[in-house]
Amino acid sequence: MAQVTATRPAAGRPPLEYVVDRIWRFFCSVRAAVYEIAILAVMTLLGTLRGSSVPNSIGEALPFLQPVIDRWYGYDFFHSFPFMFMLALVSVAIAICTLNRAPSIWKTIANPTVTTTHGFLNGADSSASFTSNQSTNALAASVVETLKSKRYRVLTETRGDEVHVYGDRNRFAKLGTFPFHLALIMILVGGIVGARYGFRENQFTIPEQSIREVGHGTGLSVELEQFSDSYRENATPDDYRSDLVIYKNGEEVKRGSIRVNHPMTYGSVIFYQSGFGQAVSLKITDAAGVPLFDDSIPLGEFHSTSNPDAPAGVQELPQVGYRLNVIGPNEAFDGRPEIDDIKLNPGEMYVQIVPIGPNAAATEIQGAVVGQGDTVTLGGINVQFLRERRFTSLQVARNPGVPIFWTASVLLVGGLAVTFYFPHRRVRAIVASNGGQPGSSLAKLAPLAKRDWSGQRDFFRCVDAIEARLETKPVVKGRPDSPTLAESAA
Amino acid sequence: MEGLVKLSFYCFTAASIALAGATICYLVYAIGRIRVRQAILATATGTTLTATSTEFGPGSVGAGRFGSLLAWFAVLFAGLAVLLRTIAAERGPYSNMYEFSLAFIFAVTLIYLIFERLYKVKQLGAIVITIAFGMSVYVWTLPSGMREVDSLNPALQNQPLMTAHVSMAILSYATFAVSFAAAVLYLIASRRRISWLPSAEMLDDIGYRAVTLGFPMLALVLILGSVWAYRAWGSYWSWDPKETSALFTWLVYGVYLHTRTLRGWRGKRSAIILLIGFGAVIFTYYGNYFFGGLHAYGGV
Ligand code: HEM
Repeated sequence: MAQVTATRPAAGRPPLEYVVDRIWRFFCSVRAAVYEIAILAVMTLLGTLRGSSVPNSIGEALPFLQPVIDRWYGYDFFHSFPFMFMLALVSVAIAICTLNRAPSIWKTIANPTVTTTHGFLNGADSSASFTSNQSTNALAASVVETLKSKRYRVLTETRGDEVHVYGDRNRFAKLGTFPFHLALIMILVGGIVGARYGFRENQFTIPEQSIREVGHGTGLSVELEQFSDSYRENATPDDYRSDLVIYKNGEEVKRGSIRVNHPMTYGSVIFYQSGFGQAVSLKITDAAGVPLFDDSIPLGEFHSTSNPDAPAGVQELPQVGYRLNVIGPNEAFDGRPEIDDIKLNPGEMYVQIVPIGPNAAATEIQGAVVGQGDTVTLGGINVQFLRERRFTSLQVARNPGVPIFWTASVLLVGGLAVTFYFPHRRVRAIVASNGGQPGSSLAKLAPLAKRDWSGQRDFFRCVDAIEARLETKPVVKGRPDSPTLAESAA
Repeated sequence: MEGLVKLSFYCFTAASIALAGATICYLVYAIGRIRVRQAILATATGTTLTATSTEFGPGSVGAGRFGSLLAWFAVLFAGLAVLLRTIAAERGPYSNMYEFSLAFIFAVTLIYLIFERLYKVKQLGAIVITIAFGMSVYVWTLPSGMREVDSLNPALQNQPLMTAHVSMAILSYATFAVSFAAAVLYLIASRRRISWLPSAEMLDDIGYRAVTLGFPMLALVLILGSVWAYRAWGSYWSWDPKETSALFTWLVYGVYLHTRTLRGWRGKRSAIILLIGFGAVIFTYYGNYFFGGLHAYGGV
């Protein structure tokens, strides 16, 4: 495990340097990272619970908390300043920590310290010693060869009559932490890029045979040529499809069908099928016969306030200072027919004008029932109900952050896999003559695996291999318990 | 098709029975023998004193062996139950809590048994297999209508992605259950050395290894979920409660992974974070009971 260290400020350093050093050390600290991630986690939990009835239940149990509960429901944690601040803080910490760790990790990989001390070997939690009547060099060679056969990289250094051995495995996997941690920053960058340079329309409705502009500087417009749907026996939609034509600056550039989960892409703009419904085609002219509106209004995005069973649509006509409401016949006949205050027949619509805006006409709210093909005059404008049509409801989005997000995802999972499944294993050893006895040498080995059960177990696998090669039993310390008492008794 | 669905249910029934037996065996094995001895002592004054002494001993090896055998039966039958249902429905087990829980029972028992083989210890079974058994009891309490196979909302019909997303979720929850069990035993073993429990070091390692499997898997759950959300409704992340509760869980395990490298945090405090993490897993699993949102038609 890498230790994150930064040098202590020497006495008498200038204050600025001291402060910079303290800040640097704060960002490098894994201990601080624990708290930072924990705070993020708590905010995520609070934000999550806000979408549930949990705060309410707390409020019922502890009524004096009710004001806090209300604020909890009212607070959008995930778009709040503290949340953004923590994300930024964690990103900066990751970046600085990466810079801080890189040199020492690289040194461990490229240029590790080979020599060790008897103090380290004697003090290690687990260790093994072999005595042999081979020469020091021959014994060292056996240790080296065995480690190599276990896919260790082995480096040796001779110090006087001692041979110091360093062996490690999976050293490059130590680099896995970098793509992983950097991926976390990239995900945030992807989110920012998407929010800053992308757009998303959730309710982009197009009636059949109508064209709608996409806007957002794309120069695109979309026509719905035809809409088709199929139903299951229980009247839930099984599948539905929109046949679209896309125009760029008025020229047809692409046509095709979209279904749920099968969107269509033009350039970086994606069109998703999300829903559908009924629309009414109206032709509206002013008193002089000048056309004000000749298109379709989707029904069902709104509902009549007095009768929630009746789908409604809204169109503003700012030129004349009106809002036009259109209400369709009751959808749910088995619902509550008694509240149907308009009692429309199929094929009829109720249209209503409401004065709004700075040009608000000084008329009262007026409404009338209109049959298909008929015209009514309300507040000086003529509204003709041409026919009913269907509309499709799309989501249109462009998100330039998505490629960044996918790249980050691959780095994240790949980096984690490398870090976790190729653990860096290290062994140190000193081979020397055995207490000056001629013709006897001693090899003492220990892993760098403090309180690391798997690391120690892998170390003893190497020890077992050396034992098999030398045909000598080692003196061992701290072999991890594998089978438990009961099991080995069996 | 009807027949397969029924057969799948019978397999689940067999798995439940095997799990009930396995739970008892593992509990007997892990708790060990407790022998209370009484001695009546006569004193010089003619009164008698009763002295009791409690002796603990390792559980019967036979119970452990039989527990494993039953657990393998449970894996076999739960696996068959999931497989038959998948064939009948022509899609992965993700349409409701019944299917989801069947798959979880299979995964958690299997992952536990793999750890049992790797580390050659059976005491964790007393916790993990009890969880699996508890889950099967929960499945019996679900409305029986869920046992039928029905077709899905069009938005959920992206099969390979959905299957991968949900399978990963189930596998990661299962590995977290193993790390939870290791943490519980760790907290017991680090308090008092009980000779027949695995060493605290080994339990710490089991908890960590389980997280090294579950953590990347949960990351994949979030990523596959975003790929699917992006295909289905054009946004890879919508701060939906089910998404954010999985993110919360992931962050808790992120905290755990860092604490393991810190002096003063490693050991007991890390183990406590594993308990919190599993609480988050349970919260995410049953999230549909609390939330509406995009995942609502996963169906409770
Ligand atoms: C706050 C900024 C962060 C800093 C300074 C930081 C620092 C570090 C360091 C130094 C290590 C290596 C520990 C060691 O091997 O000794 C590490 C490992 C790790 N970090 Fe972070 N980290 C940060 C944020 C995160 C976040 C947000 C996550 C995800 C939730 C995360 C997940 C991990 C994982 C999974 C490991 C691998 C642990 C292992 O090898 O066992 N880190 N981090």
